[in-house]
Amino acid sequence: MFEHILSVMIFLPLLVGVALLILPVSKNGVRILGLAVAVVVLVCGLKVYADYSGGGGLEFVEKLNWIEGLGISYHVGVDGISLFVLMAAAVLFPMVFMLFTAKSKAYYCNLLIALGAMVGAIAAADLVVFYIFWEIMLLPIFFIIGLYGGENRIAATIKITIYTIAGSLCMLAALVYVAVAHHTQTGVWSFEIARMASLELQGGFAVAAFVGMMLAFGIKIPLFPLHTWLPEAYTEAPYSTTFILSAIMAKIGVYGVIRLVVPVFEVEMARYAIILAYCGVIGLMYCGIAAIAQKDFKRMLAFSSASHMGIIALGIFCMNVQALTGTLFQIVAHATSTGILFLFLGILEERTETRHIDDLGGVAYKAPVFATFFAIAMLASCGLPGTSGFIGEFLIILGAVKFNMVIAVLAGTSVVIGVCYMLWLFQRVFFEEANSKTANFKDLSAYETLVFLPVIILILVMGIYPQPFIAKIEPAAQKHILQMATQDNPQLAERLDESGLLKLTND
Amino acid sequence: MEMEQTVTYLVLIPLMPLVGALVIGLLHMFTCTTRPLSERLYGILGVTGPVIATILAVKTFFELKGMPEEGRYFSQKVFTWFNVGELDVAMGFLADPLSVLMLLFVTFIGTLIHFYSIGYMAGDENFGKFFAYLNLFLGSMLILVLADGPVVMFVGWEGVGLCSYLLISFYSKERDNVLAGNKAFIVNRIGDLGFILGMSLLFWAIGSGGFDYLSLRENASALAPGMGLAICLLLFVGATGKSAQIPLYVWLPDAMAGPTPVSALIHAATMVTAGVYMVARFSFLYVQAPLAGAVVAWVGILTALLAAIFGMFQKDIKKVLAYSTVSQLGYMFAGVGVAAYSAGIFHVFTHAFFKALLFLGAGSVICALHHQQDIWKMGGLKAKMPTTYWTMLIGCLALAGCPLLSGFFSKDEILYMALANGYPGVWLVGVLVAAMTAYYTFRMFFLVFHGSARDEEAYAHAKESPKVMTVPLVILAIGAVFAGYLNLPAIFGGHQQVTHWLAGSLVEHHPHASLGLELLAIAASIAAFAIGAFIAYRKFGQGAEEPEFQGFAKFAYNLFYVDQFYHAVIVRPYKAFGAAIQRTLEPYVTDGHVKLSSLLYQLIGQAFKVFQVGYVRIYAIYMVIGLSLMSLFLSQTLN
Amino acid sequence: MIADYLILSIILFCIGILGVVSRRNVFTVFMSIELMLNAANLAFIAFSRLHESMDGHVLAMMVMAVAAAEAALALAVVILLHKHKSKLDTNMFSLLKG
Repeated sequence: MFEHILSVMIFLPLLVGVALLILPVSKNGVRILGLAVAVVVLVCGLKVYADYSGGGGLEFVEKLNWIEGLGISYHVGVDGISLFVLMAAAVLFPMVFMLFTAKSKAYYCNLLIALGAMVGAIAAADLVVFYIFWEIMLLPIFFIIGLYGGENRIAATIKITIYTIAGSLCMLAALVYVAVAHHTQTGVWSFEIARMASLELQGGFAVAAFVGMMLAFGIKIPLFPLHTWLPEAYTEAPYSTTFILSAIMAKIGVYGVIRLVVPVFEVEMARYAIILAYCGVIGLMYCGIAAIAQKDFKRMLAFSSASHMGIIALGIFCMNVQALTGTLFQIVAHATSTGILFLFLGILEERTETRHIDDLGGVAYKAPVFATFFAIAMLASCGLPGTSGFIGEFLIILGAVKFNMVIAVLAGTSVVIGVCYMLWLFQRVFFEEANSKTANFKDLSAYETLVFLPVIILILVMGIYPQPFIAKIEPAAQKHILQMATQDNPQLAERLDESGLLKLTND
Repeated sequence: MEMEQTVTYLVLIPLMPLVGALVIGLLHMFTCTTRPLSERLYGILGVTGPVIATILAVKTFFELKGMPEEGRYFSQKVFTWFNVGELDVAMGFLADPLSVLMLLFVTFIGTLIHFYSIGYMAGDENFGKFFAYLNLFLGSMLILVLADGPVVMFVGWEGVGLCSYLLISFYSKERDNVLAGNKAFIVNRIGDLGFILGMSLLFWAIGSGGFDYLSLRENASALAPGMGLAICLLLFVGATGKSAQIPLYVWLPDAMAGPTPVSALIHAATMVTAGVYMVARFSFLYVQAPLAGAVVAWVGILTALLAAIFGMFQKDIKKVLAYSTVSQLGYMFAGVGVAAYSAGIFHVFTHAFFKALLFLGAGSVICALHHQQDIWKMGGLKAKMPTTYWTMLIGCLALAGCPLLSGFFSKDEILYMALANGYPGVWLVGVLVAAMTAYYTFRMFFLVFHGSARDEEAYAHAKESPKVMTVPLVILAIGAVFAGYLNLPAIFGGHQQVTHWLAGSLVEHHPHASLGLELLAIAASIAAFAIGAFIAYRKFGQGAEEPEFQGFAKFAYNLFYVDQFYHAVIVRPYKAFGAAIQRTLEPYVTDGHVKLSSLLYQLIGQAFKVFQVGYVRIYAIYMVIGLSLMSLFLSQTLN
Repeated sequence: MIADYLILSIILFCIGILGVVSRRNVFTVFMSIELMLNAANLAFIAFSRLHESMDGHVLAMMVMAVAAAEAALALAVVILLHKHKSKLDTNMFSLLKG
């Protein structure tokens, strides 16, 4: 089983998801089976994490020729960059089966399919494999929001689907361009991601392909101003799906940029990084300020999540080891803080039957455990030292200072903007007097406490002792940055040096 | 040598209160709604951590004292916190003369406040929560003080910010209290932004050789002047937030919303002194950037002036004390700004005693009067509360700068250094502020304790507070009297022990000014005290009626409308911008490209609708036309 | 010689088109389509004869088979249409109007 551990993680959920859709199994049965599959994936993920050597190269590689004429193969593997995205997916996924009851069994099946597709996209080492799983990822989300969403679910579904597919098509065109360029330059057909890094892509087509790819990933992340699908989709989706969208899928967008765009389009990236960085920080401020005007707490958190994604994306564009490591670390940290907050809000809505912030109050007195857990996740999302949120945010800002001081100052405002809306939310929901909606608020049950406790502990451990995690990420990030700088491309090296993007004095 | 300077118990000093916070917090969290535990248990648990920390602090002090003056420090690296590229941050702690001095009074006064709180908070439904927060607060402050390197310091730095938020909004059922807490946290975070940026710049400038204080200090000479100035100013932005200086002082007076022991803790032992400590800690940077020092000094002394003006017109006893803290912090910054780091730190040290004393004394008064805080409703309490009266008198004398008490020596040292280091303007304002300090301090004192009772009913019920509250007062009063003698300058026959003790940690040189200058400084300070106190006695000593504020007094009572100004210029536009995004920007501008493309599709659809007539035979005609064109085309091309 | 066959085929085909385009009765339209198919068949057979190969015959047979299948399906559809509207006027069925 362990030789094909990644394939198991990909195809077990996919196949079980499809099979359960057809087989006559009751809703609860599906839920339990789904949980079991998610736990299997989790165990496999932990195994991968434990066995990963931290060298910086691809490990757990599986390769199988698929379309030989075009050099397409089923090729998966994990390195320091994908490891943490993979862990975020594997660790957090079981929770969605544990917490909320869904309307029908198809919901759970869709979740399983989403899990398989996400793991596939994360582990893919071949462009075609990546693209296929990337597209499959959207399908379950389409069905879930369309079938089980809130009142405006149809509009939200159409928006997210068309938005994403439009981006994906741009990416498809870019992928084809890259593969053809590989054929022209080397005479060999291949879609292997690692091989694309050695290409020299220049000229108008390269820029167009770069823009195409960035559109696809920018929409998924989402990067300002492509975020407009997000508030609707996040608000209309059921909580567990919002959680997946925010905690995992958005991260796959970030991961895609690191994995595909940065190594392949290094010249274009160096040239346009500043624009993208501005997109990141403007998005972070824009969404952060928008959050304070929201009356609906789910929508507020949606904007908050978009705001955080701005700074996470910024870490890539700064193009130094600190910022990139910060981004990779923040991928998990953000999933455990903002992602978990979505689940908490789900519990809040389930018990008070309202999403209106002004209708609430005094929950802290009724539910101290809930309030404490919420506060810890909230502070982590604000980036308080001692929680997971700080390390990543600090590293990104540190990297940004090196990259561009204006960007750094704007990125730093996240420190202030984040607390503004979060404290306001906390005040209106947890403090002040309780009212009729919250008078009978039940605290987390022992079961729920146990479900959340590992994540809360993870938040604190990642904040207090992050070095074991960093040690696994850092070599890959280092390699990634170095690869860009030391490629046989004097023109690029010169340009990078001129623009002060990379100064690797020590190597 | 390196081995001997590594110890293993430093981490325990902050850890003890933190563990206490965790234990109490968990106990409280899981039992408060079902079976609340006894206050006795929480009280014992609550003081255990601080007491152990104090003992360890004293142990550290004596061990450090036994070392030779050169290289007098202990350090402990607990683990590598994170290591990315050249950035190597260790979870490390450093005990050198500066941090140990801070450590001593922080643990000591913090512990006293813990004991006092047992009495003050008795009967509160969230007794356990209070002690959890209090322990967390102390633990964070100890991290801040003991940290070896700016990043670890930032943990404590933010930790105290968080705890101040939690404690200020402790009575969280009242919206105003929570708003005060929010304000404190947000304003602090604005400062923290400066700190993070300054810290990052510092790393890129000289941090690659190690990001702990000793390495930074060694590499500081490599710093470019402009870079050094930028770093110092950014770090100072952090300090203005944490230590309530212009323009970020606005949170501290509102922080009075919390329980009184919290005010004492924030104002005396923890939190607000952090900024001064930070500047002193980075003295090796500030000496290289005299311009930054001048900015610090002037911001400090102007804050002192502004707060003293506010303090003269307040009627809430805690607000008077709050502004006095802001004002005294201004002195401290003036001290570290004029490169008299030891004088600034020494004022932090003496201030801790008398300010804690004043707050706890005020708490005792407030308790006795059933949470009455308006000084115009007090009066004549001298007879009812003798211990509180006498201890408060000592506190007031020390704060006002009465000769021979602690506040006099430390404040005088700062003013003298300002003069000696070439900042006569700072000195002049400082003397003026000293007179104002004496005035508002005794205005409060006379109104509270002298004259006749203004509120008979409350007066009738007033009685002296219990032992657990008065004993800390007495201990602090002793400190407030004698703390100043630890750093007696040569002119009074002393040896400046504190300055010598701190010499190993600070980079400062001591100017040799003329005796005349020193005498001038001393004379001016004494005169300022005498004038201020005398005016206060004349106006309020015999009982006075509450005046109607007019003109400038009204303007000052309303704090120059600074809060309203910030609200109108920052808060309101910020919210309005948020609302504008929500209402117009998001749906019509940022979403514009999406709406536009969908509109385009609709238009194209409308245009092509004409061809969709619905009759099969018309479609057949289209087909025929199409086929005909196709065959025409093919026949043309094939030939 | 071949031209005659082809001209006949074209005439038949055009009559078919005219029928499809101008007539409104479903049956007439249907018969016109059959006419067009047979016009094509005629052309196939003619070419087959010209080139002396059997390919044309094969295709003609194929077309006849398809026509038979089409007739079976189309008549069923016509019956349904009639059930639905009680008329066989093609103008009655214009649900695709934009």
